[in-house]
Amino acid sequence: MANSAVAKQNTRPQINLVDHAVTLVIVCLVGLIMNTVGPAIPLADGFVGMIVIYLISMVGLILTRFSPFYLPSVAWISLVGIVATLPWTPGSEWIVEQAKSVNFLALATPALAYAGFAIAKKEIEVAKHSGWKLVIIACLVFFGTYAGSVLVAEGILRLQGI
Amino acid sequence: MNALRGQMELWKLHLAVIIIGVIAELIGIRKIPLGIGAILLLPLLYAFVMAALMNPNVMPKFGKFIREKEVKAASPLIVVAIMPFIAKFGTTIGPAIETIIEAGPALLLQELGNLGTIVLAFPLAVWGLKMGREAIGATFSIAREPNLAIIADRYTLKSPEGTGVMGVYVIGTLFGTFIFAILASLFASSELFDPRALAMACGIGSGSMMAACTGALTEAVPAMKDEILALAGASNLLTYATGLYAGLFIALPVVEKLYNATAGKRDHAAAQNKEA
Repeated sequence: MANSAVAKQNTRPQINLVDHAVTLVIVCLVGLIMNTVGPAIPLADGFVGMIVIYLISMVGLILTRFSPFYLPSVAWISLVGIVATLPWTPGSEWIVEQAKSVNFLALATPALAYAGFAIAKKEIEVAKHSGWKLVIIACLVFFGTYAGSVLVAEGILRLQGI
Repeated sequence: MNALRGQMELWKLHLAVIIIGVIAELIGIRKIPLGIGAILLLPLLYAFVMAALMNPNVMPKFGKFIREKEVKAASPLIVVAIMPFIAKFGTTIGPAIETIIEAGPALLLQELGNLGTIVLAFPLAVWGLKMGREAIGATFSIAREPNLAIIADRYTLKSPEGTGVMGVYVIGTLFGTFIFAILASLFASSELFDPRALAMACGIGSGSMMAACTGALTEAVPAMKDEILALAGASNLLTYATGLYAGLFIALPVVEKLYNATAGKRDHAAAQNKEA
Protein backbone atom coordinates (compact mmCIF):
# COMPACT_ATOMS: atom_id res chain seq x y z
CA MET A 1 0.00 0.00 0.00
CA ALA A 2 2.62 2.46 1.12
CA ASN A 3 4.88 1.33 -1.68
CA SER A 4 2.32 1.94 -4.38
CA ALA A 5 1.60 5.42 -3.01
CA VAL A 6 5.29 6.23 -3.25
CA ALA A 7 5.51 4.82 -6.74
CA LYS A 8 2.56 6.90 -7.86
CA GLN A 9 4.11 10.02 -6.42
CA ASN A 10 7.32 9.32 -8.27
CA THR A 11 5.68 8.91 -11.64
CA ARG A 12 3.33 11.85 -11.38
CA PRO A 13 3.08 14.47 -8.65
CA GLN A 14 -0.60 15.19 -8.09
CA ILE A 15 -1.39 18.84 -8.60
CA ASN A 16 -4.42 20.51 -7.11
CA LEU A 17 -5.89 22.56 -9.93
CA VAL A 18 -8.09 24.78 -7.72
CA ASP A 19 -5.16 25.66 -5.46
CA HIS A 20 -3.02 26.44 -8.46
CA ALA A 21 -5.76 28.48 -10.13
CA VAL A 22 -6.06 30.71 -7.06
CA THR A 23 -2.33 31.03 -6.45
CA LEU A 24 -1.74 31.79 -10.10
CA VAL A 25 -4.23 34.70 -9.92
CA ILE A 26 -2.22 36.22 -7.07
CA VAL A 27 1.08 35.68 -8.86
CA CYS A 28 -0.31 37.21 -12.07
CA LEU A 29 -1.64 40.25 -10.19
CA VAL A 30 1.78 40.76 -8.60
CA GLY A 31 3.34 40.39 -12.07
CA LEU A 32 0.89 42.93 -13.49
CA ILE A 33 2.01 45.49 -10.90
CA MET A 34 5.65 44.96 -11.94
CA ASN A 35 4.67 45.18 -15.60
CA THR A 36 3.04 48.56 -14.99
CA VAL A 37 5.78 50.01 -12.77
CA GLY A 38 8.96 48.86 -14.54
CA PRO A 39 8.46 48.66 -18.32
CA ALA A 40 5.62 51.24 -18.00
CA ILE A 41 3.15 49.29 -20.15
CA PRO A 42 -0.39 50.78 -19.86
CA LEU A 43 -2.39 48.89 -17.24
CA ALA A 44 -5.31 48.10 -19.56
CA ASP A 45 -3.00 46.49 -22.18
CA GLY A 46 -1.03 44.61 -19.55
CA PHE A 47 -4.26 43.38 -17.95
CA VAL A 48 -5.51 41.72 -21.15
CA GLY A 49 -2.04 40.35 -21.82
CA MET A 50 -1.87 38.88 -18.34
CA ILE A 51 -5.26 37.18 -18.79
CA VAL A 52 -3.88 35.49 -21.92
CA ILE A 53 -0.76 34.42 -19.99
CA TYR A 54 -2.94 33.15 -17.15
CA LEU A 55 -5.08 31.06 -19.48
CA ILE A 56 -2.02 29.54 -21.18
CA SER A 57 -0.62 28.58 -17.77
CA MET A 58 -3.93 27.05 -16.67
CA VAL A 59 -4.35 24.98 -19.85
CA GLY A 60 -0.78 23.76 -19.31
CA LEU A 61 -1.61 22.76 -15.73
CA ILE A 62 -4.77 20.96 -16.83
CA LEU A 63 -2.72 19.01 -19.37
CA THR A 64 -0.13 18.19 -16.67
CA ARG A 65 -2.94 16.78 -14.53
CA PHE A 66 -4.86 14.78 -17.12
CA SER A 67 -2.53 13.90 -19.99
CA PRO A 68 -1.88 10.18 -20.43
CA PHE A 69 1.88 10.65 -20.00
CA TYR A 70 3.91 12.78 -17.61
CA LEU A 71 5.75 15.97 -18.49
CA PRO A 72 6.72 18.66 -15.96
CA SER A 73 4.14 21.47 -15.74
CA VAL A 74 6.59 24.05 -17.08
CA ALA A 75 7.13 21.93 -20.19
CA TRP A 76 3.36 21.68 -20.80
CA ILE A 77 2.86 25.41 -20.23
CA SER A 78 5.66 26.19 -22.65
CA LEU A 79 4.14 23.85 -25.27
CA VAL A 80 0.69 25.44 -24.89
CA GLY A 81 2.26 28.89 -25.31
CA ILE A 82 4.02 27.70 -28.47
CA VAL A 83 0.98 26.03 -30.05
CA ALA A 84 -1.27 29.01 -29.25
CA THR A 85 1.07 31.36 -31.11
CA LEU A 86 2.06 29.26 -34.14
CA PRO A 87 1.33 31.19 -37.36
CA TRP A 88 -1.18 28.56 -38.53
CA THR A 89 -3.17 28.49 -35.27
CA PRO A 90 -6.43 30.41 -35.73
CA GLY A 91 -6.40 33.66 -33.74
CA SER A 92 -2.67 33.38 -33.00
CA GLU A 93 -1.99 36.93 -34.20
CA TRP A 94 -4.31 38.32 -31.54
CA ILE A 95 -2.68 36.18 -28.81
CA VAL A 96 0.83 37.24 -29.88
CA GLU A 97 -0.26 40.89 -29.86
CA GLN A 98 -1.69 40.62 -26.33
CA ALA A 99 1.27 38.68 -24.96
CA LYS A 100 3.58 41.46 -26.22
CA SER A 101 2.02 43.73 -23.55
CA VAL A 102 3.60 41.55 -20.89
CA ASN A 103 7.32 42.04 -20.27
CA PHE A 104 9.23 38.84 -19.49
CA LEU A 105 11.65 40.52 -17.09
CA ALA A 106 8.77 42.01 -15.11
CA LEU A 107 7.44 38.48 -14.61
CA ALA A 108 10.83 37.24 -13.43
CA THR A 109 11.20 39.94 -10.74
CA PRO A 110 8.53 38.56 -8.33
CA ALA A 111 9.69 34.98 -8.98
CA LEU A 112 13.17 35.91 -7.78
CA ALA A 113 11.74 37.77 -4.78
CA TYR A 114 9.90 34.59 -3.73
CA ALA A 115 13.16 32.72 -4.29
CA GLY A 116 15.00 35.12 -1.96
CA PHE A 117 12.39 34.56 0.73
CA ALA A 118 12.54 30.80 0.25
CA ILE A 119 16.23 30.40 1.16
CA ALA A 120 16.17 27.77 3.87
CA LYS A 121 18.47 27.25 6.83
CA LYS A 122 19.69 24.04 5.25
CA GLU A 123 20.82 25.83 2.11
CA ILE A 124 22.83 28.35 4.10
CA GLU A 125 24.40 25.43 5.98
CA VAL A 126 25.24 23.56 2.78
CA ALA A 127 26.78 26.70 1.28
CA LYS A 128 28.90 27.34 4.39
CA HIS A 129 29.87 23.71 4.70
CA SER A 130 30.81 23.34 1.02
CA GLY A 131 33.50 25.95 1.37
CA TRP A 132 35.43 27.98 -1.13
CA LYS A 133 36.57 24.99 -3.19
CA LEU A 134 33.05 24.15 -4.23
CA VAL A 135 32.27 27.82 -4.95
CA ILE A 136 35.17 27.95 -7.41
CA ILE A 137 34.10 24.65 -8.95
CA ALA A 138 30.50 25.84 -9.25
CA CYS A 139 31.58 29.00 -11.09
CA LEU A 140 33.66 26.89 -13.48
CA VAL A 141 30.77 24.48 -13.98
CA PHE A 142 28.49 27.33 -15.01
CA PHE A 143 31.14 28.98 -17.14
CA GLY A 144 32.12 25.69 -18.78
CA THR A 145 28.54 24.71 -19.55
CA TYR A 146 27.65 28.11 -20.96
CA ALA A 147 30.84 28.40 -23.01
CA GLY A 148 30.48 24.83 -24.25
CA SER A 149 26.95 25.48 -25.46
CA VAL A 150 27.94 28.75 -27.11
CA LEU A 151 30.85 27.14 -28.96
CA VAL A 152 28.79 24.22 -30.27
CA ALA A 153 25.90 26.47 -31.34
CA GLU A 154 28.27 28.98 -32.95
CA GLY A 155 30.11 26.24 -34.83
CA ILE A 156 26.95 24.71 -36.23
CA LEU A 157 25.41 28.05 -37.21
CA ARG A 158 28.61 28.79 -39.16
CA LEU A 159 28.62 25.35 -40.79
CA GLN A 160 25.04 25.91 -41.87
CA GLY A 161 25.99 29.37 -43.06
CA ILE A 162 22.90 30.99 -41.59
CA MET B 1 -12.05 28.46 -1.08
CA ASN B 2 -9.47 26.99 1.27
CA ALA B 3 -6.78 27.83 -1.23
CA LEU B 4 -7.73 31.52 -1.17
CA ARG B 5 -7.77 31.61 2.63
CA GLY B 6 -4.38 29.88 2.67
CA GLN B 7 -2.89 32.55 0.41
CA MET B 8 -4.57 35.36 2.37
CA GLU B 9 -2.83 34.13 5.50
CA LEU B 10 0.39 34.70 3.60
CA TRP B 11 -0.43 38.37 2.94
CA LYS B 12 2.82 39.45 4.55
CA LEU B 13 4.83 37.42 2.07
CA HIS B 14 2.93 38.66 -0.99
CA LEU B 15 3.01 42.25 0.25
CA ALA B 16 6.76 42.03 0.83
CA VAL B 17 7.22 40.65 -2.70
CA ILE B 18 5.17 43.51 -4.16
CA ILE B 19 7.09 46.21 -2.26
CA ILE B 20 10.48 44.69 -3.07
CA GLY B 21 9.46 44.12 -6.69
CA VAL B 22 8.26 47.71 -7.14
CA ILE B 23 11.49 49.09 -5.67
CA ALA B 24 13.51 46.78 -7.93
CA GLU B 25 11.53 47.81 -11.01
CA LEU B 26 11.91 51.51 -10.14
CA ILE B 27 15.70 51.14 -9.90
CA GLY B 28 15.55 49.54 -13.34
CA ILE B 29 18.33 48.11 -15.47
CA ARG B 30 21.79 49.50 -14.72
CA LYS B 31 24.97 49.12 -16.68
CA ILE B 32 28.37 48.79 -15.02
CA PRO B 33 31.11 49.39 -17.58
CA LEU B 34 34.20 47.23 -17.20
CA GLY B 35 37.41 47.26 -19.23
CA ILE B 36 36.43 44.36 -21.49
CA GLY B 37 32.71 44.99 -21.57
CA ALA B 38 29.80 45.83 -19.34
CA ILE B 39 27.85 43.96 -16.69
CA LEU B 40 24.10 44.49 -16.63
CA LEU B 41 22.26 44.63 -13.34
CA LEU B 42 18.62 43.62 -13.62
CA PRO B 43 15.62 44.24 -11.35
CA LEU B 44 15.33 40.50 -10.70
CA LEU B 45 18.79 40.52 -9.13
CA TYR B 46 17.91 43.39 -6.75
CA ALA B 47 14.64 41.65 -5.89
CA PHE B 48 16.49 38.47 -4.96
CA VAL B 49 19.05 40.31 -2.82
CA MET B 50 16.43 42.43 -1.02
CA ALA B 51 14.29 39.38 -0.30
CA ALA B 52 17.31 37.43 0.93
CA LEU B 53 18.19 40.29 3.28
CA MET B 54 14.69 40.11 4.79
CA ASN B 55 14.95 36.32 5.11
CA PRO B 56 15.39 35.31 8.78
CA ASN B 57 17.69 32.43 7.75
CA VAL B 58 20.09 34.81 6.03
CA MET B 59 19.80 37.79 8.37
CA PRO B 60 18.54 36.57 11.76
CA LYS B 61 18.60 40.11 13.15
CA PHE B 62 16.22 41.52 10.56
CA GLY B 63 13.87 38.55 10.62
CA LYS B 64 10.95 40.35 12.17
CA PHE B 65 8.45 40.70 9.35
CA ILE B 66 9.09 37.46 7.49
CA ARG B 67 9.25 34.34 9.63
CA GLU B 68 9.81 30.62 9.12
CA LYS B 69 6.14 30.16 8.11
CA GLU B 70 6.56 32.53 5.15
CA VAL B 71 9.91 30.98 4.22
CA LYS B 72 8.30 27.53 4.01
CA ALA B 73 5.40 28.86 1.94
CA ALA B 74 7.68 30.76 -0.45
CA SER B 75 9.37 27.66 -1.82
CA PRO B 76 6.37 26.17 -3.70
CA LEU B 77 5.40 29.71 -4.76
CA ILE B 78 8.60 30.04 -6.82
CA VAL B 79 7.33 27.26 -9.07
CA VAL B 80 3.96 28.96 -9.55
CA ALA B 81 5.56 32.39 -10.03
CA ILE B 82 7.76 31.02 -12.79
CA MET B 83 4.74 29.63 -14.72
CA PRO B 84 3.53 32.95 -16.25
CA PHE B 85 7.15 33.62 -17.15
CA ILE B 86 7.40 30.29 -18.97
CA ALA B 87 4.04 30.91 -20.68
CA LYS B 88 5.34 34.27 -21.91
CA PHE B 89 8.44 32.57 -23.31
CA GLY B 90 6.23 30.04 -25.07
CA THR B 91 4.40 32.86 -26.87
CA THR B 92 7.72 34.14 -28.25
CA ILE B 93 8.59 30.72 -29.69
CA GLY B 94 5.41 30.16 -31.76
CA PRO B 95 5.76 33.21 -34.04
CA ALA B 96 9.47 32.45 -34.54
CA ILE B 97 8.93 28.80 -35.42
CA GLU B 98 10.72 29.16 -38.76
CA THR B 99 13.80 30.62 -37.08
CA ILE B 100 13.70 27.77 -34.57
CA ILE B 101 13.47 25.08 -37.25
CA GLU B 102 16.26 26.72 -39.23
CA ALA B 103 18.43 26.72 -36.12
CA GLY B 104 17.27 23.20 -35.20
CA PRO B 105 20.60 21.38 -35.57
CA ALA B 106 22.42 24.00 -33.51
CA LEU B 107 19.68 23.95 -30.89
CA LEU B 108 19.78 20.18 -30.53
CA LEU B 109 23.55 19.78 -30.51
CA GLN B 110 24.34 22.70 -28.23
CA GLU B 111 22.88 20.55 -25.48
CA LEU B 112 26.13 18.58 -25.78
CA GLY B 113 27.93 21.78 -24.86
CA ASN B 114 26.97 20.81 -21.33
CA LEU B 115 29.99 18.57 -21.49
CA GLY B 116 32.12 21.74 -21.40
CA THR B 117 31.87 21.57 -17.63
CA ILE B 118 33.86 18.32 -17.69
CA VAL B 119 36.65 19.88 -19.74
CA LEU B 120 36.93 22.90 -17.50
CA ALA B 121 35.77 22.06 -13.99
CA PHE B 122 36.76 18.40 -13.61
CA PRO B 123 40.55 18.77 -14.06
CA LEU B 124 40.69 21.67 -11.62
CA ALA B 125 38.57 19.84 -9.06
CA VAL B 126 40.63 16.65 -9.17
CA TRP B 127 44.18 17.92 -9.75
CA GLY B 128 44.02 21.54 -8.71
CA LEU B 129 41.93 21.28 -5.59
CA LYS B 130 42.55 17.59 -4.87
CA MET B 131 38.89 16.88 -4.35
CA GLY B 132 37.71 13.32 -3.81
CA ARG B 133 34.62 11.68 -5.22
CA GLU B 134 32.70 14.93 -4.56
CA ALA B 135 34.22 16.03 -7.86
CA ILE B 136 32.08 13.50 -9.73
CA GLY B 137 28.81 14.97 -8.47
CA ALA B 138 30.04 18.53 -8.64
CA THR B 139 31.34 18.61 -12.20
CA PHE B 140 29.22 16.24 -14.31
CA SER B 141 26.43 18.74 -14.88
CA ILE B 142 25.00 22.17 -14.15
CA ALA B 143 23.32 20.61 -11.09
CA ARG B 144 19.66 21.43 -11.55
CA GLU B 145 16.83 19.24 -10.31
CA PRO B 146 17.04 16.47 -12.95
CA ASN B 147 20.76 16.10 -12.26
CA LEU B 148 20.13 15.89 -8.52
CA ALA B 149 17.73 13.07 -9.26
CA ILE B 150 20.38 11.20 -11.26
CA ILE B 151 22.92 11.36 -8.42
CA ALA B 152 20.30 10.60 -5.77
CA ASP B 153 19.30 7.54 -7.73
CA ARG B 154 22.81 6.23 -8.32
CA TYR B 155 24.72 7.24 -5.18
CA THR B 156 22.13 8.81 -2.82
CA LEU B 157 22.51 12.44 -1.81
CA LYS B 158 24.36 11.51 1.41
CA SER B 159 27.32 10.04 -0.50
CA PRO B 160 30.41 12.11 -1.43
CA GLU B 161 29.00 12.41 -4.96
CA GLY B 162 25.74 13.66 -3.43
CA THR B 163 27.62 16.26 -1.37
CA GLY B 164 29.27 17.50 -4.56
CA VAL B 165 26.09 17.87 -6.57
CA MET B 166 24.20 19.43 -3.62
CA GLY B 167 26.94 22.00 -3.11
CA VAL B 168 26.84 23.15 -6.72
CA TYR B 169 23.03 23.03 -6.67
CA VAL B 170 22.83 25.32 -3.65
CA ILE B 171 25.46 27.70 -4.98
CA GLY B 172 23.48 27.80 -8.24
CA THR B 173 20.30 28.56 -6.33
CA LEU B 174 21.97 31.36 -4.38
CA PHE B 175 24.21 32.89 -7.05
CA GLY B 176 23.15 31.33 -10.37
CA THR B 177 21.24 34.39 -11.57
CA PHE B 178 24.23 36.65 -10.93
CA ILE B 179 26.65 34.27 -12.59
CA PHE B 180 24.45 33.99 -15.68
CA ALA B 181 23.83 37.73 -15.93
CA ILE B 182 27.60 38.29 -15.80
CA LEU B 183 28.37 35.48 -18.28
CA ALA B 184 25.85 36.76 -20.82
CA SER B 185 26.99 40.38 -20.41
CA LEU B 186 30.65 39.51 -20.94
CA PHE B 187 30.10 37.12 -23.85
CA ALA B 188 27.80 39.63 -25.57
CA SER B 189 30.10 42.60 -25.16
CA SER B 190 33.08 40.61 -26.48
CA GLU B 191 31.23 40.62 -29.84
CA LEU B 192 33.02 37.42 -30.83
CA PHE B 193 29.89 35.30 -31.01
CA ASP B 194 26.59 35.20 -32.82
CA PRO B 195 23.90 36.52 -30.44
CA ARG B 196 21.75 33.55 -31.49
CA ALA B 197 24.39 31.15 -30.14
CA LEU B 198 24.52 33.13 -26.89
CA ALA B 199 20.73 32.98 -26.68
CA MET B 200 20.60 29.20 -27.13
CA ALA B 201 23.17 28.77 -24.38
CA CYS B 202 20.95 30.86 -22.05
CA GLY B 203 18.48 27.99 -21.97
CA ILE B 204 20.77 25.43 -20.31
CA GLY B 205 19.89 26.24 -16.70
CA SER B 206 16.83 26.90 -14.59
CA GLY B 207 14.06 29.38 -15.43
CA SER B 208 15.55 32.16 -13.33
CA MET B 209 19.02 31.64 -14.79
CA MET B 210 17.44 31.95 -18.23
CA ALA B 211 15.68 35.14 -17.13
CA ALA B 212 18.91 36.75 -15.98
CA CYS B 213 20.83 35.53 -19.03
CA THR B 214 18.30 36.64 -21.65
CA GLY B 215 17.65 39.87 -19.76
CA ALA B 216 21.29 40.81 -20.01
CA LEU B 217 21.49 39.64 -23.63
CA THR B 218 18.42 41.54 -24.87
CA GLU B 219 19.78 44.70 -23.26
CA ALA B 220 23.10 44.21 -25.03
CA VAL B 221 21.53 43.40 -28.43
CA PRO B 222 18.06 45.01 -28.34
CA ALA B 223 17.53 44.69 -32.10
CA MET B 224 17.39 40.89 -31.79
CA LYS B 225 15.11 40.74 -28.75
CA ASP B 226 12.37 38.54 -30.25
CA GLU B 227 14.82 36.08 -31.73
CA ILE B 228 16.83 35.88 -28.49
CA LEU B 229 13.74 35.10 -26.40
CA ALA B 230 12.49 32.48 -28.84
CA LEU B 231 15.82 30.65 -29.11
CA ALA B 232 16.51 30.71 -25.38
CA GLY B 233 13.00 29.50 -24.63
CA ALA B 234 13.26 26.67 -27.15
CA SER B 235 16.65 25.65 -25.77
CA ASN B 236 15.28 25.66 -22.22
CA LEU B 237 12.38 23.45 -23.25
CA LEU B 238 14.78 21.04 -24.94
CA THR B 239 16.87 20.94 -21.78
CA TYR B 240 13.95 19.39 -19.92
CA ALA B 241 13.80 16.68 -22.54
CA THR B 242 17.48 16.05 -23.25
CA GLY B 243 19.30 17.28 -20.13
CA LEU B 244 18.38 14.23 -18.11
CA TYR B 245 19.53 11.78 -20.75
CA ALA B 246 22.73 13.63 -21.65
CA GLY B 247 23.63 13.63 -17.96
CA LEU B 248 22.69 10.03 -17.33
CA PHE B 249 24.11 8.38 -20.44
CA ILE B 250 27.03 10.61 -21.42
CA ALA B 251 28.27 13.05 -18.79
CA LEU B 252 28.10 10.91 -15.67
CA PRO B 253 29.70 7.77 -17.22
CA VAL B 254 32.48 9.94 -18.71
CA VAL B 255 33.22 11.65 -15.40
CA GLU B 256 33.16 8.32 -13.54
CA LYS B 257 35.63 6.76 -16.00
CA LEU B 258 37.89 9.79 -15.86
CA TYR B 259 37.85 9.76 -12.10
CA ASN B 260 38.52 6.06 -11.77
CA ALA B 261 41.34 6.23 -14.32
CA THR B 262 43.05 9.14 -12.57
CA ALA B 263 42.18 10.16 -9.05
CA GLY B 264 40.64 6.79 -8.30
CA LYS B 265 44.12 5.23 -8.47
CA ARG B 266 45.37 7.87 -6.08
CA ASP B 267 42.58 7.02 -3.63
CA HIS B 268 43.36 3.35 -3.99
CA ALA B 269 47.06 3.89 -3.32
CA ALA B 270 46.28 6.05 -0.31
CA ALA B 271 44.00 3.38 1.07
CA GLN B 272 46.69 0.72 0.63
CA ASN B 273 49.32 2.90 2.29
CA LYS B 274 47.04 3.26 5.28
CA GLU B 275 46.59 -0.48 5.52
CA ALA B 276 50.32 -1.05 5.28
